[in-house]
Amino acid sequence: MGPGRRPPFPGSIGWLEQLGLAWHTLRACGDLYRRILVGQARLDMPAFAMALRHAGLSILPAITLVAVALGMILGNQTQAVLARLDLPGLALLSMVYLIVMELVPVLVGILVAGRAGVALAVRQATLGVSGEIDGLLVQGVDPLSFTVGPALLAMLLMSFALAVWTTVVTVLAAFLWLWNLVGLSPALFVAALQQALTPGDLALAFGKPLLFALVIALIAAVQGTLAGRDPAGVARAATRTMIGAVVAILIIDLVLVLRP
Amino acid sequence: MTPSQPTPVLELRKVFQHVGGRCLLNAVDLRVDPGEWLLIIGPNGAGKSLLIRLVLGLDVPSAGQVRLFGEDIVGLGDRPMRALRRRLGAVLQGGSLLEDMTVAENLLVPLRSRPLTRGEMARAVRLVLTRLQLDGLENHLPRSLSLGQRRRVELARALIHGPGLIVWDGLTDGLDPVAAHEVVALLGAEREHQNLTLVATDNRPDALSEYTSRIAVLDQGRLLFDGCRADLESAMAERLELRYLLQGRP
Repeated sequence: MGPGRRPPFPGSIGWLEQLGLAWHTLRACGDLYRRILVGQARLDMPAFAMALRHAGLSILPAITLVAVALGMILGNQTQAVLARLDLPGLALLSMVYLIVMELVPVLVGILVAGRAGVALAVRQATLGVSGEIDGLLVQGVDPLSFTVGPALLAMLLMSFALAVWTTVVTVLAAFLWLWNLVGLSPALFVAALQQALTPGDLALAFGKPLLFALVIALIAAVQGTLAGRDPAGVARAATRTMIGAVVAILIIDLVLVLRP
Repeated sequence: MTPSQPTPVLELRKVFQHVGGRCLLNAVDLRVDPGEWLLIIGPNGAGKSLLIRLVLGLDVPSAGQVRLFGEDIVGLGDRPMRALRRRLGAVLQGGSLLEDMTVAENLLVPLRSRPLTRGEMARAVRLVLTRLQLDGLENHLPRSLSLGQRRRVELARALIHGPGLIVWDGLTDGLDPVAAHEVVALLGAEREHQNLTLVATDNRPDALSEYTSRIAVLDQGRLLFDGCRADLESAMAERLELRYLLQGRP
């Protein structure tokens, strides 16, 4: 490590440093988006396209497969519950609520963290190791808005799109399973959907992945930046991003569930 | 300073840098006026790269002033520092091209903050590629280029926005004599296009001999000599340490 590139602070000071860096990242990205909106800056389209691929398009087949499997598993479980209890409406309502409000947002968050979050942390860390961050700095470019700006925007867009897509596929797969095996009527299923979810619930269900994406991007930016110049820091940044993102997603979800 | 003296493009006043209890730069004073070319030489570990990092605001000195375009950059905020850096071009030791971007995309980076249309940016890229004999390489990734070509791309990136100052760490590092001569000649040709000020580091005292006579010698963080080439030769005759450093023998 060269002079001036010190290791991260330990303990609580280190936490404060990470929070400060996250705040700086958020401000830098906010400033970039504001300048893009008023025509003073341009979005880096190649970087945005790459981030879109990382954040969504490349995981679309995997997330679709997971959504189908999840829908079938939940359909099967609901079928078992329906066989024991004579409360089809209640069982369906619980299943739909669980899928839309909890399972899908958390699943999307974890997959986006694993693909786009880790990719962002690795890129940021690699730029630091190879000296490319210094190259950006000396050109008068803020490296955080340069790398995180397009990635965060892509993660927000794709998280929303994936949440909608995964919800539709999972619910449809569950319905098809129940319709095929139990002969569940579409009318009963639609009624359960309407009773289970208010517009406010849907807004929260599709808003959660956006919040997760924001937190994932900030964790990735912080871990990537703090990786320093040691090549081993790249792997460390990837691992810490994944673990940090999963913990953050579950804690945020818990806070949202427990909110008054 | 008398009223007739120009504001120096770069000025270091009593700059110290301590790292881990070691003094890596020791009371360095340096002044570079507009249009001047300065070559800083010294052995490995002399503190050349550290000095360049301080000049570029990548590190903060332990004490002293670093003035860029008349402004003290020590403790300067992010935004004004970025604005100052946009007035210079830099080539860092070991290279700093963005490896996942093509040559043309790399060259566009310094232009992003400027109020240019896409067409103007594309024209600026074409022009600088031609000037630096890089035609046909715009869609190549840096990893597919030779070291000499990479250096030329870095020079192109440093020059594309018409900076007043070029800071180059390791001018001919790793280049064979032919490639080194080509890069230096291209840099010299750029002097014809714009009033460039240059601060470069190298291990070789003759790296810029065709273009400048000013030379500074740095060793163990101390500036041993700052003057013209002719004076250096007479200083070497008198000072054993300089002779040993530059010729490898007392």
